[in-house]
Amino acid sequence: MSGFKFNIDPAPPKEEKIAEHRNFGKVMHNYQRMTNPLYRTPLYRYRRVFLSLILVLLVAWLISEYGNEEQKEKQQQTADSIRKADSLNKILNDKSKR
Amino acid sequence: MLNQHHKTKEQILSENQLIEEARKDPARFGLLYEKYYRQIFVFVFRRTGDEDIAGDIVSDAFLKAMVALPKYEFKGLPFSSWLFRIALNEVNMFYRKDKRERNVSLEQSDLKNIITEAGEENTAEADRMVMQLLSSLTAEEMQFIELRFFEKRAFAEVAEILGITENNAKVRTYRILDKLKVLLNKNSTN
Repeated sequence: MSGFKFNIDPAPPKEEKIAEHRNFGKVMHNYQRMTNPLYRTPLYRYRRVFLSLILVLLVAWLISEYGNEEQKEKQQQTADSIRKADSLNKILNDKSKR
Repeated sequence: MLNQHHKTKEQILSENQLIEEARKDPARFGLLYEKYYRQIFVFVFRRTGDEDIAGDIVSDAFLKAMVALPKYEFKGLPFSSWLFRIALNEVNMFYRKDKRERNVSLEQSDLKNIITEAGEENTAEADRMVMQLLSSLTAEEMQFIELRFFEKRAFAEVAEILGITENNAKVRTYRILDKLKVLLNKNSTN
């Protein structure tokens, strides 16, 4: 086996294919990733990542706030019912003493 | 040798200005990218025969060129030669990994040029024999033939692309041609 595949009078590459692959933005992005690793790049440089992180933090804070509120309400309800039960017991005790 | 790859001294110097700017600001490399993208793409496509593979190799080649730009030394040759060298290394790396048959693109007239250069008569039999002889070359030898005879580049450029001296490029190309000549003569006498 020669190891060569001869292509005599080949057709040139299609212009639309060349245009499809031509993308300096991608090369520049890879260059920046290669020369400035993620851990050395301030987060605000990646706008999309930064905004999504802010959004996630905001949602997490809202969920925790809502959870706290619910817990407080539950505690309040429990305390109220205990207080009611106490006062009911007191009244019953007073009645039985009389 | 004046050919489509030839550039005037002024063109080369103004290009050097662009390179200096790209060294200071990598975003300026975009101008060089746009200028040479098509040439490098065609160069790689001739050696792979597949547009998508060529696209990937060219992207890697430009990325490597951007990273290595601070080390680039202006030797009075077109910047494209340096880009071709990087692209050729990428092509070689692709074949080392992929282990498929190397694609060699040539025109029918290139065969005739080799036969003439070897001092033989242009016949269909000679064409067939040269093809057979070209198949017996090593990948490294084929690079000399491709650059010099199939792409009609000057020896100075062949040398720059292959990272050797001009004299060495001449000697090695003619040695391959002599080898072909001997094989061609031997086959024609048989």
